[in-house]
Amino acid sequence: MRRWLPTFATWLLVGAGLFPLYWVVAASLGPESSLFEGRSVIPSVIVFDHYRALFDERDFLIPIRNSLIVASATTLLAVTAGSLCAYALARLRFRGKTTILAAVLAISMFPQVAIVSPLFLALRAAGLINTYPGLILPYLTFAMPLSIWLLVGFFRQLPDDIEEAGLIDGASRIRTFWEIVVPLSWPGVTATAILTFLYSWNEFLFALSFTLEPERYTVPVAIALFRGQYQVAWGQILAAAIVATIPVALLVLIAQRRIVGGLTAGAVKG
Amino acid sequence: MIRTTLALRACPGCVALVLAGGIASGCGGGSDGRPVLTFSGSAVGREAEILERQFDRFETAHPPWRVELRSTPDSADERRQLYVQWLNARAARPDVLQLDVIWTAEFAAAGWIRALDDFAPVVSDFFPGSIEADRWRGSLYALPWFVDVGMLYWRTDLMPQPPATFEALMQQADDVMQGEGLPFGFVWQGARYEGLVTVFLEHLGGFGGQIVDEHGEITVDSEEAVRALTYMRDAIWSRHVVPSAVLTWQEEQSRFAFQNGQAAFMRNWPYAHALMQDSRGSRVAGKFDISLMPAAAGGSPTAALGGSHLAINAYSAHANAAFDLIAFLTAPDQMLERARVAGQFPSRLSLYDTPALTEALGLAASSARRVIESARPRPVTPIYSELSDILQIRLHRALSQQQEPREALGEAASAMRAALTRAGLDGGTRRYD
Amino acid sequence: MPQRMSIAESREVRMAWLFAAPALLAIALVAAFPVLWTFWESLHRHDLRLPWLGRPFVGLSNYREAFTDARAWSAIAHTLFFTATTVSAELALGLALALGLNRPLRARGPLRAAALLPWAMPTVVAALIWRFMFESPGGSSWFVDPLAAWVPIVLADVWKMMPFVALLLLAGLQNIDHSMYEAAALDGAGPVRQFAFITLPLLRPAIAAAVVFRSLDAFRVFDVIYVMTGGGPGTATEPISLYAFTALFRDLRFGFGSALAMMVFFVSFFLALAWIRLLATPESVT
Repeated sequence: MRRWLPTFATWLLVGAGLFPLYWVVAASLGPESSLFEGRSVIPSVIVFDHYRALFDERDFLIPIRNSLIVASATTLLAVTAGSLCAYALARLRFRGKTTILAAVLAISMFPQVAIVSPLFLALRAAGLINTYPGLILPYLTFAMPLSIWLLVGFFRQLPDDIEEAGLIDGASRIRTFWEIVVPLSWPGVTATAILTFLYSWNEFLFALSFTLEPERYTVPVAIALFRGQYQVAWGQILAAAIVATIPVALLVLIAQRRIVGGLTAGAVKG
Repeated sequence: MIRTTLALRACPGCVALVLAGGIASGCGGGSDGRPVLTFSGSAVGREAEILERQFDRFETAHPPWRVELRSTPDSADERRQLYVQWLNARAARPDVLQLDVIWTAEFAAAGWIRALDDFAPVVSDFFPGSIEADRWRGSLYALPWFVDVGMLYWRTDLMPQPPATFEALMQQADDVMQGEGLPFGFVWQGARYEGLVTVFLEHLGGFGGQIVDEHGEITVDSEEAVRALTYMRDAIWSRHVVPSAVLTWQEEQSRFAFQNGQAAFMRNWPYAHALMQDSRGSRVAGKFDISLMPAAAGGSPTAALGGSHLAINAYSAHANAAFDLIAFLTAPDQMLERARVAGQFPSRLSLYDTPALTEALGLAASSARRVIESARPRPVTPIYSELSDILQIRLHRALSQQQEPREALGEAASAMRAALTRAGLDGGTRRYD
Repeated sequence: MPQRMSIAESREVRMAWLFAAPALLAIALVAAFPVLWTFWESLHRHDLRLPWLGRPFVGLSNYREAFTDARAWSAIAHTLFFTATTVSAELALGLALALGLNRPLRARGPLRAAALLPWAMPTVVAALIWRFMFESPGGSSWFVDPLAAWVPIVLADVWKMMPFVALLLLAGLQNIDHSMYEAAALDGAGPVRQFAFITLPLLRPAIAAAVVFRSLDAFRVFDVIYVMTGGGPGTATEPISLYAFTALFRDLRFGFGSALAMMVFFVSFFLALAWIRLLATPESVT
């Protein structure tokens, strides 16, 4: 009896956690009339009205496109520059390393509301409000430190002597980096990229403050601003919520080991 | 290994492309090359219909321009929030904005809308009160589009004529409630929002008071004001003529109450008239009329002056075309058509002399004009929303019996004066230097 | 006393700075500098709706206003309440889930993925899901009651972040040597005693890290409350970040809003330092 109880409890906990998601998926696939009442746990009828309306009436492809562009570009920049910096911090010797690392970590803890106003004034002066760079640059405030922090953890795990092989052959530091270190730590690099993409996709406050038109809204902002109409279109909101979750759900399912590895490497170990 | 390093090397290139694309896609004209004018305003119900028609006409008369409607939330507060966000970010669009009358001074003072003096518009045909609200520091910043005024709706089948005094209103409402068994005597908007200030303004004027006097000083703590607020409170809790539910009602809830035949009197804006004349949804179709709000001795019938005005975004790239659009939409025949379709009162005096307007509105243009002429604007000041906020809270507290009217108004007045001082508007709410 | 470096060493130092420069410059530009600017703003009066007042230096008067502002104190109280409830709930449930996952289960991978799903989705989506669950048009609404409105808010945050805490604790659990349990079992200790005297003490560093990390996040809460209640009814569920945001972007009071934002920053910074110190001390790994 004792043996299976913990396992059962674990399944129950996870199942209970997933139930709201299931409930919402079922609601989004049901007709408008049964959104709030007369719904059974297993839906009896499935319609795609809300999803159709989402893409036809609300042009939901636009925020998806915007989120893809912004999250991808942010991830590219953050992982590229971040891996160079992390390599220096993890494997090269110079003074001030620990201070820099602590500073980078502290900066990743900055509350967004504490830097949103100067960023707004700067972007406005540069005419970058409501543009892609106007989101990508602010996103680096969390994407860069996050990438550095995670990659330092991964680079530190590499054996000490891998550079020596390259250096002895006469290769420069940078070639050693590109051709030896990065491929060896590819799992870590991809984990970092995935996590950075995730955080960028989910970001809300900056996107809310720095975009003005539906043409440039990211997915979280587009969904959040569905409200405010006279009648709240719950069916479409829920459909949008599901659509917004699909990419990240796929990422989690495919790469959960990498993600978990990345999180625990960076967060718990030093 | 080689493939991955190649991909990594190519990446900075991709990034540059994306960034360049991002910057480029921020500007540019419409998809077919024609320049686009963006209009932002209310498009509720039939408003959307008339707007589309008028935009088509404008496009025909002013090639190659295309006019696009950028939608905004239905709630006025949320629309204002959106405007503030756009204009504060110095967005070039929308080019033309539909403003609530109480926002013009604020937007003008913040430098968000363009002065219209360069275009030398002719303003003699507009209602003076509306034009006054569009002036800031001597310049004109918007043109009135349609006027909204608070009116007394009364049941023609339950009484011979509307009351002229507040006491008569109480009496008649009471009689009808007893005689006909109606649950409500008089309904208005008492939720904690801007509407409450307009209702209070009308009672205040009826008792002879003002929110702001001729010198721009706050007088919301005067004896007349205390009497007005006490009257409003007693109507709910002592005379039981006004239901306490009004403290959570906005325009629509009070309209439903009157429309379902549950009230003898209603205070509301003109929009309700056309809706309630539709016998499909309304139980009072053909059984009601409008009148001036009543007054007491020493006061005069007062309507709160509302309405929408059209302004040009100060950062718009198409100021001239924007003014053309404003001039077009405020032309007499366009206004007449809007009156017919959306039931809104035009802001041009001359239209009230024509029988066409009576026919378009479904009510006598002369009655409408009488109410508009009794209309009083709210304080024209850049910090009006802050002042209104202060007043709303105190009014609602007094009406829900959490505070005595005298105390509540005293607090409101000092807070409002302090707000003016803090904003460097010590000269009160004077519009001129 | 630093020794003189060899040529190879000084070259290494130069390479290191070269490598680190782009990222560090970017961070300085978009994060470090703005914080200093916000602090500088908080010492000025800057009302974007009243441009004729200019931007005068007013010293600490914005902070003085914040300290005497009832709404600011309420916002801080709300934030502390939110932090305390969500962190304790996430800790309790996270520990349960971590213990459950720390066993040789067959479907461990998919189970972990399924558990992680709520964490991976945008906070906005989580907030809307729970708003929908508690929405009952026509009936009495949770969201018009100042106290009841907290229930869906806390639930949404716990639902989303509990898997993350579970992950952190799981990593800590997996670092505990099994032999300790075996030895204790031989000594006659049951599962409860094993938990209390082996698991908990050895898990303390991970628990501390999780608590500080989550407190840091919870104190900065914005997304979930903005989307779910907008801080309402009235300002009954408004956390300090949302009040700062409202002061900045709705009331356009950049000076006062910056002071409020700095208050969030100072508390976060303090918590961040505590967390960094926790990480720096060696964890007891058997």
